[in-house]
Amino acid sequence: MPARVRHRALIVVGALVAPLAFAATALAGNGGFAPLAPQSPNAEGIQQSYLFISAFAFAIFLLVEGILIAFVIRYRRRKRPRNMDGAQIHGATKLELAWTVGPVLILFVIAAFVFAKLPTIQDVPAAAAGSENLVVDVTGTQFTWEFRYPNGVVTIDRLRAPQGRTVELRITAPEWDVIHSWWIPALGGKMDAIPGTVNKTWFEAERAGVFQGQCAELCGLYHAKMLASVEVVPASEFDAWYDERRAQQEAGTSTLGEELYEGSCAKCHGLQGEGGYGLRIAGTQLVSDEQAIETLLRRGGILMPPVGRDWGQTEMNALTAYLKENLGG
Amino acid sequence: MAVDVGQPRVPAWQRGKVASWLVTVDHKRIGILYIGTAGFFLAIAGFLALLIRTQLAQPDGAVVTGDSYNEVVTMHGTGMVFFVMVPVLAGLGNFLVPLMIGAPDMAFPRLNALSYWLYAFAGLVYCFSFLAAGGAANTGWTAYPPLSLAALGNGQDLWILSIHILTLSSMAGAINFIVTIHNMRTAGMSWMRLPLFVWSIEIYAWLLLLVLPVLSAGLTLLLLERQFPDTFQFFRPEDVAAGGSPVLFQHVFWFFGHPEVYIMVLPVFGIISEVIPVFARKPIFGYKAVAFSTVAIGFFSMLVWAHHMFTVGMPTYLNIWFMLASMVIAVPTGMKIFNWLATLWRGNISLDTPMLFALGFLSVFTMGGLSGIYLAAFPVDWQVHDTYFVVAHFHYVLFGGSMLGLLGGLFYWWPKIFGRMLSERIGKWTFLFVFVGFNLTFFPQHMLGLLGMPRRIYTYRDDGLWHAYNLLSTVGSYVMTVGFLLFLLAIVKSVNGRRAGNDPWQADTLEWYTTSPPPPHNFDDVPYVTSARPLYDLRRRLREAEAT
Repeated sequence: MPARVRHRALIVVGALVAPLAFAATALAGNGGFAPLAPQSPNAEGIQQSYLFISAFAFAIFLLVEGILIAFVIRYRRRKRPRNMDGAQIHGATKLELAWTVGPVLILFVIAAFVFAKLPTIQDVPAAAAGSENLVVDVTGTQFTWEFRYPNGVVTIDRLRAPQGRTVELRITAPEWDVIHSWWIPALGGKMDAIPGTVNKTWFEAERAGVFQGQCAELCGLYHAKMLASVEVVPASEFDAWYDERRAQQEAGTSTLGEELYEGSCAKCHGLQGEGGYGLRIAGTQLVSDEQAIETLLRRGGILMPPVGRDWGQTEMNALTAYLKENLGG
Repeated sequence: MAVDVGQPRVPAWQRGKVASWLVTVDHKRIGILYIGTAGFFLAIAGFLALLIRTQLAQPDGAVVTGDSYNEVVTMHGTGMVFFVMVPVLAGLGNFLVPLMIGAPDMAFPRLNALSYWLYAFAGLVYCFSFLAAGGAANTGWTAYPPLSLAALGNGQDLWILSIHILTLSSMAGAINFIVTIHNMRTAGMSWMRLPLFVWSIEIYAWLLLLVLPVLSAGLTLLLLERQFPDTFQFFRPEDVAAGGSPVLFQHVFWFFGHPEVYIMVLPVFGIISEVIPVFARKPIFGYKAVAFSTVAIGFFSMLVWAHHMFTVGMPTYLNIWFMLASMVIAVPTGMKIFNWLATLWRGNISLDTPMLFALGFLSVFTMGGLSGIYLAAFPVDWQVHDTYFVVAHFHYVLFGGSMLGLLGGLFYWWPKIFGRMLSERIGKWTFLFVFVGFNLTFFPQHMLGLLGMPRRIYTYRDDGLWHAYNLLSTVGSYVMTVGFLLFLLAIVKSVNGRRAGNDPWQADTLEWYTTSPPPPHNFDDVPYVTSARPLYDLRRRLREAEAT
């Protein structure tokens, strides 16, 4: 190999190896080459399907790019005249059949694998004795998530869930709102929150921790701030919280008011009510007038959506109390 | 045909430099008008893309507000799809189809002019919608209701209006292409001798004709419901009993929207199928397979729309259908890729700029095709849907595919269109910057999506990796911009560029038989077409005649 060619070959090899080395290190720390580490059986099934497809995709990618580079190098013009004919080959039926049937087979294998995994991804595990599924109603509104538990507990933007127990989610949006999409990457795929429709999905968190996610369907101005998280806690801790929260909520001492304010109000009016996209509300007469607040929240304003149209009296009281206490004049 | 026959008398006022362009019905001039106008919109929509990338360079970027960001995203997508890609391909098709089939013009020259002027008018509405009360449309290029119903101001209405006008333009253009290709092929040009670019324009036109009316209908319903919300409830969920549903619009939109992808990609497949054989000095490998796979892709593209809607909660059997149908499209697409590769085999490959773009297209389009398999498998789509993974995927298809191929096509046909070569030197630098910048911009977006970053957000979590990949992507977008500025430089310099002659690439199809640029009537005479490569045959016959 002449020195000049060797030099060039080194550059080419270097250019090929560098991204691979980068990819390898990134893959080791999951730098985004596969979905986030799954924490629930459905996310696990998706992850496995992803990796299965990747094996074929990567092989085909290497094959095509390999052939492309090899042919360009091998059959480049060199010193031949520019208009000299290449081999006048018009086709080869058997070869063409092969690269038609080959992909069909690969796709068949991929589809079979995905269908085999589908039940573990899609089907809600049946409730076992002593461990009922926890069914939570999830409602997306501009720009917040509301979680309603069977015992009446309501939380905003953060769903608290017991570890190792199946949580069924019934996802919707109010009829006067827009489409949102529920998504916590570590706990499975997305499900749209569509006005007038109830969609179902589920998860069963394997370990305790806080898992982040956010609305995945453009829903307007603060779509980017429509965050959600799931806090998974050990089952016993959850049970204790579940009853305590209910008692607090009934006594009006829970943090619901604050959660509602941060979820529904603060994105436009600021955390301290200092105003932003919406008007300044801190210290105004309005925040001390329960009647006026309730009317506004239920009907909406010129630019303001009717965020409280479907609230129960618990939520309304929690918010008005919070407003009066924290932002009153 | 003699030069002075059939030339209508032109009134004096129409002969001016500007006036002659305003009243022209010549397919070549209309083609140039299309391409130039699309270039103007490329600058606008490209600028919007840079705004997006600049905003996202930092997690809490403050280049634009959240409100404006939604407008920017919407108008970038709408602009690139409706006002850049589809019209520029109409322009290229307009210039080339009559020349490639040996015809003097399109079948309906005046309708052709109408198509262009409707496009220009639609573009005007698009531009002025930025000035509407409440700003331009801000609900994404997909304009899903109820969000698009709730959108305040008139931006959304003007958006609907501009696309309405544009669909009329494209429909008229599509009819013109179909009638031209069916009726005006020169003697000897059977369907199996039709240049592959013309095949792709045929399917492009049929798809436009079949799916655009559906979009028009959907947008009409949207407009009616926006303007008369008490009378019409097509997409509002309140009246489910009457059949109203927000998901209905998604079905209507994607029935148009998915074939639209192929509308933007098939003609580029055609460009690649013309460029690769010429620069490899070979016939296309498997002409029939390449032609019929175009037809197959066009057909199947109308059966897969709901793979854009796997997260709306469709019944499993529908999910399965749309998954399998989507995978089926991979087969004819794969055939094309392998046929193009085989065309390189044992060739005499010249790496001129058009060929560089064609090979670049091949390498990155493959990537876009493969990432599509993940999206077709609906459980995996539940994870990556509406994230940057999807953004990366369709930019690999529509930028890495359509735009790279288109740039290759422009470098290839520029000498025919204007009679001057584009600089090879600048061309190669253009390729380098665009290709590297493109991959730098969009490859990291796959990772962003898998890490959980949704589309269409103006601010994001301050997470080290999210920031790093976004910054990388932004850097890439500026590298790409340099590439486009170089292309502009090449265009400016081509005014004094090397004269092209009839056939600078020693190509195979009829457009190279006439002068560069061609005269108003295109050809004085057209040789009898004996194969899909009439000029190759002609050169061989000339060589044989010299030998004897």
